[in-house]
Amino acid sequence: MSMGVPEIEDAKLLFIFGYNGADSHPIVARRIVKAKQKGAKLIVVDPRITESARIADMHLQLKGGSNMALVQAMANVIIAEGLADQKFIEDHTNGYEEYKEFVKKYTPEYAEPICHVPAEQIREAARAYAKAESSMILYGMGVCQFAQAVDVVKGLASLALLTGNFGGPNMGIGPVRGQNNVQGACDMGALPNCYSGYQSVTDDAVREKFEKAWGVKLSNKVGIPLTHVPHRVLEEKDEKKKIHAYYIFGEDPAQSDPDLNEIRETLEKLDFVVMQDIFMNKTGLQADVILPSTAWGEHDGIYSACDRGFARIRKAIEPKGDVKTDWEIISLISTAMGYPMHYNNTKEIWDEMRSLTPSFFGATYEKLEALGSIQWPCRDESMEDKGTPYLFTGGKFSHPDGRGKFFATEWRPPCEVESPEYPYSLSTVREVGHYSVRTMTGNCRALANLEDEPGWIQMSPEDCEKLNVKEGDLIKVYSKRGSLITRVLPTERVRPGATYMTYQWWIGACNELTTPYLDPVSNTPESKYCAINLEKIDDQAWAEQYVKDSYESIRKNMGIDTAKKEV
Amino acid sequence: MGKQVLTTCPYCGAGCQLYLNVEDGQIVSATPADGRTNQGNLCLKGHYGWDYLNDPQILTKRLTKPMIRKNGVLEEVEWDEAISYTAERLSEIKAKYGPDSIMGTGSARGPGNEANFVMQKFMRAAIGTNNVDHCARV
Repeated sequence: MSMGVPEIEDAKLLFIFGYNGADSHPIVARRIVKAKQKGAKLIVVDPRITESARIADMHLQLKGGSNMALVQAMANVIIAEGLADQKFIEDHTNGYEEYKEFVKKYTPEYAEPICHVPAEQIREAARAYAKAESSMILYGMGVCQFAQAVDVVKGLASLALLTGNFGGPNMGIGPVRGQNNVQGACDMGALPNCYSGYQSVTDDAVREKFEKAWGVKLSNKVGIPLTHVPHRVLEEKDEKKKIHAYYIFGEDPAQSDPDLNEIRETLEKLDFVVMQDIFMNKTGLQADVILPSTAWGEHDGIYSACDRGFARIRKAIEPKGDVKTDWEIISLISTAMGYPMHYNNTKEIWDEMRSLTPSFFGATYEKLEALGSIQWPCRDESMEDKGTPYLFTGGKFSHPDGRGKFFATEWRPPCEVESPEYPYSLSTVREVGHYSVRTMTGNCRALANLEDEPGWIQMSPEDCEKLNVKEGDLIKVYSKRGSLITRVLPTERVRPGATYMTYQWWIGACNELTTPYLDPVSNTPESKYCAINLEKIDDQAWAEQYVKDSYESIRKNMGIDTAKKEV
Repeated sequence: MGKQVLTTCPYCGAGCQLYLNVEDGQIVSATPADGRTNQGNLCLKGHYGWDYLNDPQILTKRLTKPMIRKNGVLEEVEWDEAISYTAERLSEIKAKYGPDSIMGTGSARGPGNEANFVMQKFMRAAIGTNNVDHCARV
């Protein structure tokens, strides 16, 4: 996020795009409510009536997969009505003339049939966004998990450039990142193109610095993204380009990745799969080696929050069982392979990382102890440098010339759309009481009691009536790739023809249905759109028994002695 | 004697600060702390999301011993065997197909920044590839 979480409540206008804070980040969503209480205007763009949409001044309930058209129609209005910040554009940006030319075509009337949002509503939203004293954009997976995702992110950033909403407090653009440490994994260089602090592996000077520190020659070839693994295993003909071994650390692709059938086939075909985790999971069932590690609560370290805030995690209890910290396991394997690595504690690792990463260099353990949280960049070790609450101060951007770049391109529909055979769309969403693949929250008694298998499919009351199903009925859902059974949840929050499933469930595992299509730049899968069909199950007693038996068999597979412990 | 340990919540990217209340080596509850982002508030996951550490075995089971698949079945082994077996197999594959035939992941979840730094260093320096990525995309 270009801003900090606390700033949300002081924005004069919040433009919330494909982001359902109440379910994904309840404590961030609290700031949205506070902003409203302080008098901010709220505009929500979402295909569902989310909690934020309920309290919004304006809700643009667009059709899923039409984001780019809406964003550019907003730009069209802002320019056409003379609401752009000409001074900011002149002083701090590039590419305005081309941008202006491109979005000319995207009139609200042009966007209306694509987005299913009335042209007049788009005009009003654009005017409000441009006119507010400080407007902040918050976006989430409703932007990123489409095959046209990076374009939309750049499109949203262009709206902020167009209206001068960068460089000061309570404005900017905020991707509110989902998982607790997804920011941190990126910060540390668990990415195929960069080392820690987003230092490029193709930059010779950077690479030489790391080579010197690590005493080894490093590859200057960008690695492959995670979502390319199935292709590189199943379809790659050249043995030299094939992936043969997969070291999976703290994730469960066999639950979280799209098109699970393909993932299972991939894991099956690989010569060697290492799984390092805290719980047995679906990936573990196909692994060749399982390395058990300590969990949150049992080890020290640092997480990065969605707003670039480093903060400590601390060991509270001794782990049970014969487990090791993740970094110790990796170091032991490395040493056994002839590249010795040894650390006594996380501070030693952090200090090595800092010494190689100028933008994080100032965020020492001591300073974190004193301040609690530090938002990067933090370059200086002295206590004077307390980090950076918001980026691009004074409109200075990270491009080499310090200027922000406008971006526009044609809207593209999702890769798989509704058809007579698969007449409904499906989007995967979040469950407020559960997290990710659910191995953690699904094993917390209070949370499991609130919501458990097989999960729900959110459907409009009209569609429920058409299919003659009611709340709680088990229903069959299928796509070209797979099928599952889940429960019907009729809700006025969704439009007819569109359905939603949370991705936490193992029986109602929506990733059996999703497509493996990717955004060409980020390689993020299009989890927010695929075509499905629904089939009423007449024999509900059979279906209930099926769910019960499936749960028992999952638990048994996961190593639980089911004779001893009832669900 | 009980103790309170200040930490960051492991769910979602809000970075809420909380105290884990520990008695006799067990976590018994969580209390919100006055963190920069959460100001003394927690959501339901923050309040009740520590219970998996007690391994109640509702959905799955905590891993407590390294395992190697032998004749199709996962068998518990000692750490020495697990580490040397993993190192040998990875070295073999690296020798046969080159470093770019191996893929590794970071983790956006519980392990923390230091473990991710070590993982990408391992993939880059020990294996010799930039094939390292994590689930930011999914």
